[in-house]
Amino acid sequence: MGLLSLLIFLPLLATVLILLLPATLRQSYKYIALGFTVVQFVLSGWLYSQFDNAATGINQANGFQFLEQLPWIRLDLGSLGQLEIDYFVGVDGVSLPLLVLSAFVMLMAIGASWNITKSTKGYFSLLMLLNMAVMGIFCALDFFLFYIFYEVMLLPLYFLIGIWGGTNREYAAIKFFIYTLFGSVFMLLIIVGLYFSVVNPETGANTFNMLHMMNPNNYVDGSFFAYLNNYYEVLGIPARMLGFIVLFIAFAIKVPIVPLHTWLPDAHVEAPTPVSIILAGILLKIGGYGIIRVCYSIFPDAAADANWWLGLIGAVSILYGALNALAQKDLKRLIAYSSVSHMGFVLLGVASLTAEGISGALFQMISHGFLSAALFFLVGVIYDRVHDRYIYNFRGLATHMPAYTGFVAVAFFASLGLPGFSAFIGEAFVIIGTFNAESVGTGIPRWMAIAGSVGILLSAAYLLWTLQRMFFGQTRFKGGEEWATLLTDVNTRERIILFPTLALALLLGVMPSLVFDKMNATVLNLVSLVSQYL
Amino acid sequence: MITLTHFLVVSACIFCIGLYTVIAKRNAIMILIGIELMINAAILNFVAFSKYDKINYGGQVFALFAIVLAAASVAVGLAIILNVYRHYKTINPDNITDLRD
Amino acid sequence: MNYLLNISPIVASMLVVLLPFLAFLMQALLGKKFTSGIFSLVAIVLSTILSGLFVFAEVWNATPLQADYSWFTIGEKTFCFGILLNNLTVLMQFIVCIIALPVHIYSKSYMKGDAGIHRYWMYLSLFCFAMLGLTISKNLLMMYIFWELVGFASYLLIGFWFTKESAVQANKKAFLINRIGDLGFLIGLAILFSTFGTLDLVEILGKDGLLFQEVIDHNSGLITGAGICFFLGAMAKSAQFPLHLWLPDAMEGPTSVSSLIHAATMVAAGVFLLSSIFPLFNCTVLLIIAIIGTITAITAAIFALGQYDIKKILAFSTISQLGYMMVAVSIGAWDAGMFHLATHAFFKCLLFLSAGAVIHEMAHLKAHTHQDFDPQDLRNMGGLRQYMPKTFLLMSLASLALAGFPLTSGFLSKDAIVISAFEWALQQGDLYLVVPIILVLVSILTAFYIGRLIFKAFFGTLRVNADHAHLHDAPKTMLIPMAFLGICSLFIIFSWNPFSYANAAILNVLVVNYTFPEIHFLHTIVPVTLTASALLSWWIGYNWYVKGKYPLNASSSWIHLAQNQFGMNEWMMKTFVSPTVKLGKISFWFDKYIVDGLVNGASYLIKQLSGLITWIDKYIVDGIVNAVAYLAYELGNALRFVQNGRLQNYLGFTLTMVLIGIIYLILK
Repeated sequence: MGLLSLLIFLPLLATVLILLLPATLRQSYKYIALGFTVVQFVLSGWLYSQFDNAATGINQANGFQFLEQLPWIRLDLGSLGQLEIDYFVGVDGVSLPLLVLSAFVMLMAIGASWNITKSTKGYFSLLMLLNMAVMGIFCALDFFLFYIFYEVMLLPLYFLIGIWGGTNREYAAIKFFIYTLFGSVFMLLIIVGLYFSVVNPETGANTFNMLHMMNPNNYVDGSFFAYLNNYYEVLGIPARMLGFIVLFIAFAIKVPIVPLHTWLPDAHVEAPTPVSIILAGILLKIGGYGIIRVCYSIFPDAAADANWWLGLIGAVSILYGALNALAQKDLKRLIAYSSVSHMGFVLLGVASLTAEGISGALFQMISHGFLSAALFFLVGVIYDRVHDRYIYNFRGLATHMPAYTGFVAVAFFASLGLPGFSAFIGEAFVIIGTFNAESVGTGIPRWMAIAGSVGILLSAAYLLWTLQRMFFGQTRFKGGEEWATLLTDVNTRERIILFPTLALALLLGVMPSLVFDKMNATVLNLVSLVSQYL
Repeated sequence: MITLTHFLVVSACIFCIGLYTVIAKRNAIMILIGIELMINAAILNFVAFSKYDKINYGGQVFALFAIVLAAASVAVGLAIILNVYRHYKTINPDNITDLRD
Repeated sequence: MNYLLNISPIVASMLVVLLPFLAFLMQALLGKKFTSGIFSLVAIVLSTILSGLFVFAEVWNATPLQADYSWFTIGEKTFCFGILLNNLTVLMQFIVCIIALPVHIYSKSYMKGDAGIHRYWMYLSLFCFAMLGLTISKNLLMMYIFWELVGFASYLLIGFWFTKESAVQANKKAFLINRIGDLGFLIGLAILFSTFGTLDLVEILGKDGLLFQEVIDHNSGLITGAGICFFLGAMAKSAQFPLHLWLPDAMEGPTSVSSLIHAATMVAAGVFLLSSIFPLFNCTVLLIIAIIGTITAITAAIFALGQYDIKKILAFSTISQLGYMMVAVSIGAWDAGMFHLATHAFFKCLLFLSAGAVIHEMAHLKAHTHQDFDPQDLRNMGGLRQYMPKTFLLMSLASLALAGFPLTSGFLSKDAIVISAFEWALQQGDLYLVVPIILVLVSILTAFYIGRLIFKAFFGTLRVNADHAHLHDAPKTMLIPMAFLGICSLFIIFSWNPFSYANAAILNVLVVNYTFPEIHFLHTIVPVTLTASALLSWWIGYNWYVKGKYPLNASSSWIHLAQNQFGMNEWMMKTFVSPTVKLGKISFWFDKYIVDGLVNGASYLIKQLSGLITWIDKYIVDGIVNAVAYLAYELGNALRFVQNGRLQNYLGFTLTMVLIGIIYLILK
């Protein structure tokens, strides 16, 4: 069993263990979950340290590392040929940082779940199941396997929001579930279409192998998604463009882009803190990851044609999310909208098709991963204490909870892109890359970069305004004295979670090479893959 | 000359009388007699048609066979009627409607 | 020991930057337990020594040095931590150190007893780290990072008293306006990166950092755009009209902070930036800079006239002087700009520190006598000369320097700018003469408003009731740094000749080739005019404010307008801030009711549709099934009477059916 399999299936073991243990050992569930996640984190750190920076990844199997390929389903379908589904996992420069990020955010989420009391058995087993699914998504290189992990991920999330959420949880859970499913069912159609269009050059059978799908030579001439002699159209859209659009929408819902983002504020607001952390920290990244791994790599020709629109969507998301955040009175909703805005940079950077832009976008994903997780955790801190997060109900928290305010201020400044923190590197390079796109000729106009930078200004505006309204000034709470006693400063557990997160933001901001070195070769390979179709 | 037709007409008349008796009479014994009449009409036909079978006399043979059978069935029928009377204290079939739904 | 003394300038300059950072870390880790600020003090002392002995002394007027340390690679481009030591950068670094040191010492007693003193030292060291880093950055990306960090430190220090509503409003405003400039800077970086493929100053500008690499068309739109973007960055940081609005509000911070950050060093960073990338600018951009600089100089001087808050007068004066420096850069005499930056740093810092001493005393008086008055308001002061003679002396000296009086440093640098501006304008053409004429006008206004400040604060009699015994000069720890700055405000520090800037060391070392010829008679006539008009304005000021012959109506709408900055704050609020907030609300409304409305509408539609289908299923599909069953039932029911149990009826039916069959067969 390879390292990646171990990484993926360790949480499943934890789930089984938690389910088997009797309810009298209820107290041990969280320790089991924590233990397994720590092992997982260490394992991902080991992968990180063993990773060869020269790996090009993307479309070459030898550019991937820690590869594992086992035949999984082999079925003779008679005239339809042989069904070939592999258990095929591996990592390259795009997925490795996200894998480490996921393990880290999971650790944070377990820490944030420490005080959960409502049916812990179900909670932790679902959390571990979710953990397995996200790890699987980032590793899977077989489209069928990818899809299975993708769907498995939805189930625990639905229950985690629907059972452990806030007052309006059923609505939010269903909205989230239907929205994501809406994207993924159409994805299944495209997967099947690809399956019938692509053959494995070694066996001649149709295949779900993503790497084979990235090679134009493996397409059957005249098949639905073929590169050559392809006259298929649906509603006037060429087949390959259609495949790109459908897959893009499936992942864009996850990112989320405007206007497919409305599940996000509801899901975030209703979800319990740990689930918000996972949603913002990992789930949104799956969208960005999917766009790079699937949309851009399998349909590079369509991506080259569509990238103007993608850039536009990115720019609109940045501004729209920021403006919405400016109008929020609920702190958690504000951060949810800021996620929309910050993830817009990812799309803009990817669409720029420059090495700087794509690296910036990936870096932004990593940075947003733990910064938004930290922000949601910080909201959870006051929500845990007084069950309120309405901005105007708090004032002058700085004198009352100085350490908490310190953490909030650092997290806010980090996410508004203060140099020295990771978000700055991500955003600055997305802007620089996007600006450079016109010179390189990838079709993204310069005004999109400027629009993106206005988004940075707006993010400073809403975060500083919040800081001023909630934390500065004379102390005054809506709940009066009662709140004053409830609102104790951050405790040791919370410090243990927050400190490494913000320290990591600082570390990556000062030494971005920790991430860039790992992904550089892969990003360059991706750029050359797509730019040949420009 | 008495032709086959005459026999058949008489037989039909007897059969019709029997049929009428079976359908109209309010007495089970009379119905039994009606059945006998219908059987006899049939026997008459057998005998009449047997002129076409002069070698084996199949018609006559069947007539004899039918007469015996008729006698036996009358015996059974009377026995049933007797039992019905014992049970219902009547032999008017209109009053015995146990078969209705 | 010898080894220790042989620190290379590169290492020394790095240490200069890192020592305050170390102090920041120590202070951050120790927190409240440690309030003496010893780390910050030691760090800045060491930094100053290192900067002076091992960096400035080594590099000044010698070969520039540079060093690169690979930082990270993105795509095919590698970014480096770069250190560039040339005349410009070492001068700037040294100025920052030499100003920061007295301010640190001054702060020690000025901030004594404040509840948040540990934070004060922490932020101050952070600021020093960022500002010193900014000065020697070779890579523009690094410079940008420090550029924003100084803004961040300034944000923290403006909002130092964060329970005060006005302070937190001011720091938010400062950061946001600076952010606008930062975006300009960032876009400028993007333009340079896409044009040159690097952000390294030396690679862009040439070997010694002062030459333009002629690889592309200097007048292309893109380079003009880059110039405007960088100027936007400098505008925000150096408080140029109309982005100057944050600076007067920034006076909410402690006065020592105002003197260091918002007068001497950080606000001058804009001028420094423009000087370091000067070869990048083409005529269009320079003209824009000249126009903005001139407007800034004159408007800020007018605004200063109407202020009553002692710190606000100084703030506007800073803005006005920064306008001067911008004009100097724009006419190509950026060395004169840097010269003025250097002299201005000293005397403006001194002005603020003196004002701080005055405010300190007034605040003590307020606390002691339990009166309620604003300790910063000029209208409450008066006659302080008798109680604080040393402060008065030092502040007057600084005021003379600000007004450009002979024998002071300000005289030299201001003359350098005004005379160069005249020479430039004469060469360019008639219309350009507006610029130097306005500068002369500003100079007169400057003399007047600073005279007004001195007369109102130090002459006449105190306007609030006072137990006089409690007004006295500041303690030694405050006075010594002030005295040091006072000495630095004299001509001798910068040039041995008090009447001609031609001998100023800074101008002689920062060799800049002017595009315009020198005109000799200007070098006499301009200083004489400026000095004479300054004297005249003081005479008027003395008559008005000390003798009490005030001819104007103090509540006239003009004065009010000047005090309000022509209502610019309100106007900005109305045109930019409120619409943005409103746009936010509108877009949230749009999000909630239109976008989410569509989603919910779709789900409503689907629910309705499924309702319809349920209805169809229930009444039509299932209806047919039930109808068949019903029909069969009814048919059976209709034929029930046949089964009446009457034997004879059965026979009759049988007969009927047989007959029907026979009839059917016959008819067929």
